[in-house]
Amino acid sequence: MNALTRGVKNTLRSPVRSGAIILMFAISIALIVSMLVARSSVLAKINEVKSTAGTNITIRPAGTMGGMGGGDPLTAAQLNTITSTSHISSTIMTLTDQLSSDNTNLTSSLEFGGFGRAQRETTNSSSESSTSENKSTETPRTPGITITGTTDVNSASTDGSSLSISSGKTIDASGSDTVALVGTDLATKNNLSVGSTFTAYSKTFTVSGIYNTGNRFTDSGIIMPLKTLQTITDQAGVVSSVVAKVDSSDNVAATVASLKSSLGSAADITSEIERAESSVSSLQGIASLAMTGVIAAAVAGAAIVLLAMIMVVRERRKEIGVMKAIGGTDGKVVGQFIIEGLTLTVFGAVIGMVLGILVSGPMTTSLVSSQNTSSTNRTSQQLSGVRTSTNSSEAPGANFIRGGFNQIRDNASQVTASLTPNILLIAAGVTIFIALIGTAIPAWLTARVRPAEVLRTE
Amino acid sequence: MSLEVKNITKTFTTSSGDVTVLKDVSFTISNGEFVSIIGKSGSGKSTLLSILGALDSPTSGSIVVDDANIEKLKGHEQTKYRAKKIGFVFQQYNLVPNLTALENVVLALEFGGYPAASRVDRATALLAAVGIEDDQLTRRPSRLSGGQQQRVSIARALANEPAYILADEPTGNLDSVTGKKIFSLLHDLSRKQNTTIVVVTHDLDIAGKTDKTFTLVDGKITTKTRS
Ligand SMILES: Nc1ncnc2c1ncn2[C@@H]1O[C@H](COP(=O)(O)OP(=O)(O)OP(=O)(O)O)[C@@H](O)[C@H]1O
Ligand SMILES: [Mg+2]
Repeated sequence: MNALTRGVKNTLRSPVRSGAIILMFAISIALIVSMLVARSSVLAKINEVKSTAGTNITIRPAGTMGGMGGGDPLTAAQLNTITSTSHISSTIMTLTDQLSSDNTNLTSSLEFGGFGRAQRETTNSSSESSTSENKSTETPRTPGITITGTTDVNSASTDGSSLSISSGKTIDASGSDTVALVGTDLATKNNLSVGSTFTAYSKTFTVSGIYNTGNRFTDSGIIMPLKTLQTITDQAGVVSSVVAKVDSSDNVAATVASLKSSLGSAADITSEIERAESSVSSLQGIASLAMTGVIAAAVAGAAIVLLAMIMVVRERRKEIGVMKAIGGTDGKVVGQFIIEGLTLTVFGAVIGMVLGILVSGPMTTSLVSSQNTSSTNRTSQQLSGVRTSTNSSEAPGANFIRGGFNQIRDNASQVTASLTPNILLIAAGVTIFIALIGTAIPAWLTARVRPAEVLRTE
Repeated sequence: MSLEVKNITKTFTTSSGDVTVLKDVSFTISNGEFVSIIGKSGSGKSTLLSILGALDSPTSGSIVVDDANIEKLKGHEQTKYRAKKIGFVFQQYNLVPNLTALENVVLALEFGGYPAASRVDRATALLAAVGIEDDQLTRRPSRLSGGQQQRVSIARALANEPAYILADEPTGNLDSVTGKKIFSLLHDLSRKQNTTIVVVTHDLDIAGKTDKTFTLVDGKITTKTRS
């Protein structure tokens, strides 16, 4: 028997009260652990997203919506400004155009979506009384075919990797030959194969290869060298979007700023890094929410242990007086109460950590998903808005936007709870801090109890 | 070697004013003497005993025990005095509620610096001497009768072979047979081991068998010595 065994025994001898204190404390430790796990998982994801974001900057004429046209194209002078901006190591320039049936012998492989059909039906019903039969006999209006003139054919791929050519070979995008890559859907619709020819703006083009991106809109388009498209459409030097690569990620922000000041309101400038940052902004919110949770739980835990120990000491003033009256030194008496406090803390901490590790996975998932429902909803609304507002196929820009939004959804779903030794260390540190607070003050109270307390009758 | 009380006054300050319980009390107890203190309820017997045991300090006056001024000792020296020299039997027993009968006695042995290895043996023997045995040893105070608690409290007071035993109504809760046994135990200690014993009692029979009786009336003391 010594202060240690007495302290431990005393906690065990009032199991209900000790149990209640331990449980409350364990819950706050569990909260601390799970919040720390959530926070570090989210931070890890944020860093990962930021570090994998490329250094590309996209410049489009002001007022365009996802590269769908609108606004004046970028001029040769503006392009000069862009290419001469420092830190820009390379640029990919793109011009898009819609081929109508007047300009080509090709038929689009796209049909109108629901919005277009509905519009047609109202027009039809005003000219003649429409029935279900004559609806099936009407000739569908053909949408335009999107031509993309580019200095790098890979820019047309949906996910930023190189364009997959299913047959034939790629074209020299820096040249000005009348050669083209044709999307697989358009090729099938028009029975085109490698070596076939078609006309556009009265020029005869040779199909060099067939590409397949898996995207219905992109696969219904044509890709040709930028210069060729500029020539046949009489738009020498004109470009509808520029993707500029910056030499290092550290220079992206400065380069964006310098482009914004030199191009002014004439251009919309966005960087992948900015997009990545905005895509993780909700995650950042979760991280700070989790940090608040950690602090709140730590304060609650400290308060629980402190109040519990103060209660214990007050309730046992007489007992403390007795021990002092029969010759117990302050050190022995205070030591015993510190050990009682530590016993409660250790039990609470161990149970709390186990509990915290168990709930940290579900906790992280629910925190992240509840925060992200809103941004995901916004995404799909915006996407359907893009689709229904255009009567033409989606341009590569739209794919790029969708890629960005998919990225947000992926960011959220890919946050996985991970428990690192660091977290356990922090949790242990918080626990020790709480234990110190929870025992130092009661110890001080204990030391002040006078042996004459023993004579009080309660 | 003696216990000398010189001009002790004790005044309690309460919300309803000051109460002076002891007024200029002086007496001397020699080594190995067996003395009794009697007086009406509230006359200050327990107050006087707690001052002798350094549980409380006098408002004025001094207590000299074995040439040391008790009321002038530092806190830790008073603690040592209580642990080594004094065995206190409380009127309300004051056992530690979370500890068993045996553990309560072991606790006093620990505070007195008794070797750890033989504490349990000694505590068991001490308890046997006051009639606490077998399963009673492992009971906590709440599961012992008042008389049993009182006997554990006496065993605890004897634990460190103190030079002075201060016992506040040690037989107050015992039947006459057990009371006589406890009294003769204390008597033997004073005769055979030269332990100085101060008992507070209401029992005039017991008081009559002690060497000296102090009577407290209105805060003053009168002494009756027997030969
Ligand atoms: N801490 C205190 N504060 C205020 N008054 C006190 C205190 N302790 C004791 N008293 C008062 O001092 C007086 C003497 O109390 P004490 O306990 O010494 O009496 P007693 O002679 O032991 O009585 P009893 O025979 O009933 O045990 C009482 O009037 C009591 O109310
Ligand atoms: Mg009394």
